[in-house]
Amino acid sequence: MNLVWKLLRQHISIPQFAGFFFANLVGMTIILLGLQFYTDTQAIYQSEDSFMKADYLIINKRIGSLTTITGKSSAFTLPEVQDLDQQEFVERVGLFTSSAYDVKATFKLDEGTSFSTEMFFESVPDEFVDVKSDDWGYQQGSHEVPIILPRNYLDLYNFGYAQSRNMPKLSEGILSAIRLKIDLAGQGMRDEYEGRIVGFSSRLNTILVPQQFMDWANEYYAGTKTVAPTRLIVEVNNPTDDRITSYLQDNDYETDQDKLDASKQTFLLRIIVAIVMGVGLVISILSFYILMLSVYLLVEKNSTKLENLLLIGYSPTKVSMPYQLLTIGLNVLVLAIAIVAMLAVRNVYLEMFESFFPDFETPSITTTLLAGVCLLVVVSILNVIAIKSKVMSIWKRKD
Amino acid sequence: MKEIVLEHTLPKVFVQVKDLQSEVWNQTVTFEKERLYLVEANSGTGKSSLCSYIFGYRKDYEGRILFDGADIARFKTSQWVKIRQKSLSLLWQELRLFPELTAMENVDIKNKLTGQQTKQQIETWFEQLGIADRMHAKIGRMSFGQQQRVALIRALCQPFDFIFVDEPISHLDDTNSRIVGELLTAEAKRQGAGVIVTSIGKHIELNYDKVLKL
Repeated sequence: MNLVWKLLRQHISIPQFAGFFFANLVGMTIILLGLQFYTDTQAIYQSEDSFMKADYLIINKRIGSLTTITGKSSAFTLPEVQDLDQQEFVERVGLFTSSAYDVKATFKLDEGTSFSTEMFFESVPDEFVDVKSDDWGYQQGSHEVPIILPRNYLDLYNFGYAQSRNMPKLSEGILSAIRLKIDLAGQGMRDEYEGRIVGFSSRLNTILVPQQFMDWANEYYAGTKTVAPTRLIVEVNNPTDDRITSYLQDNDYETDQDKLDASKQTFLLRIIVAIVMGVGLVISILSFYILMLSVYLLVEKNSTKLENLLLIGYSPTKVSMPYQLLTIGLNVLVLAIAIVAMLAVRNVYLEMFESFFPDFETPSITTTLLAGVCLLVVVSILNVIAIKSKVMSIWKRKD
Repeated sequence: MKEIVLEHTLPKVFVQVKDLQSEVWNQTVTFEKERLYLVEANSGTGKSSLCSYIFGYRKDYEGRILFDGADIARFKTSQWVKIRQKSLSLLWQELRLFPELTAMENVDIKNKLTGQQTKQQIETWFEQLGIADRMHAKIGRMSFGQQQRVALIRALCQPFDFIFVDEPISHLDDTNSRIVGELLTAEAKRQGAGVIVTSIGKHIELNYDKVLKL
């Protein structure tokens, strides 16, 4: 056995190091689990709607009986939009553009079965739609139009139509592969287009096409460029802000309230996860403190031995190394076990996630692992520096 | 390293002392290689302090100590490590052995660092000093006289230009004292090194080139 280690392991207190080990293990596991849980839950929210961030609100004017009787317009005027845009809680405002021409869509499921329906298109500025720009856009003259459908349509088909007729249920993936025949008509013209479904949105209760296409089609088929918007899409900096609710009430506007709740939930979840991770971090910091105290005590108890080693020609670096390796070894072991523990717990909740959300795609654990390794490196560097400086204080003994 | 010069070196505790009679403190003294010195001292005259200053262990002195003209007060950690491994050897009065290790391990811990002596050479020294049977005994279970001999062997397990031995035979009989003297001078001669022996009374009988009164 290495003689230096044989000397320096004297006075190592197993209970102290075990205390550090378990405290750090608990702290590290909580941090990793918190981080991974957050990543996993984010994936749920994102899989629910990948085109719209949670911080977007869709606002329209309240339609009451009075509106219908008086014929008061439900469209937003320019001053109203400007006023909204100037509110502090608003980051940006986008206008919904509606189609001013006829739209008829035909869904061909298999030979003989097809749906055909009159419908409408809407568009919002592209920066509000989170789809790769290659997928979302329109080349004038092309007969292919990307479309985002409301998820309700799929549910309506799956749980209503298909259920009652004993037809197979469709997943988003299959449906995206199906082409949609679209007929546009206006100003005496009628053309056929092919709709390509790029996704489903549970937040946008409308059939969305790219802004570019909408602008062109409105002019081409309806001879108009602008249609007064009846809905606005608004990015806010904090969806839980009370000022939003009061502003909407004051102006008699409505929003997709449950989505506001959903974003409140994400916000709360984020805070809870942050608190849990904070607790983990505090435990880890305390355990780091225990480790440093243990090592300091150990160095103190073995100071004569360390001094003698230095005097017979051992360098401070060489003398520090056994303790540095000991702490690094413990840190690595803690990280390894914490990762295993995190994965074990994750497996349990992932099963639940998958049963609740069939479309749930398991996110990778790379970020969490990376964070764990970063933490390990930072803590180990601090350990190494602290031990070396403690040994140096023996070297430079105060006379 | 060719020479060690003490330039008006004086322990700080002696600064206030008037009429200090010393051939070392506050004088200019030069130790050269291949020569034998005896520093004789009474108790409390700073004999061990002198060793500590030269070994870079303590710095509570005035004046300067020069190794080949370089002031040791400015040496960096890495320089001292190198000096303690390759240029200077010191047999401490308090020995500074590790009681948890055996006699052989105490020597090995140094020899593994320097790789200076063969195992056979070390065993021969143990035999010559009459402690071969104690080779694998824990230092803590050995008498001070036996420990002194182990410490001497350890001090010889490195290359050196100067070797300082601080009261090396205080607990040894005449025969063992003589053997210590022989081993010390033989190894110093082999390495072409200077030897500085300190003593407060009983000292090794050698042909000293210079005797200094501390």
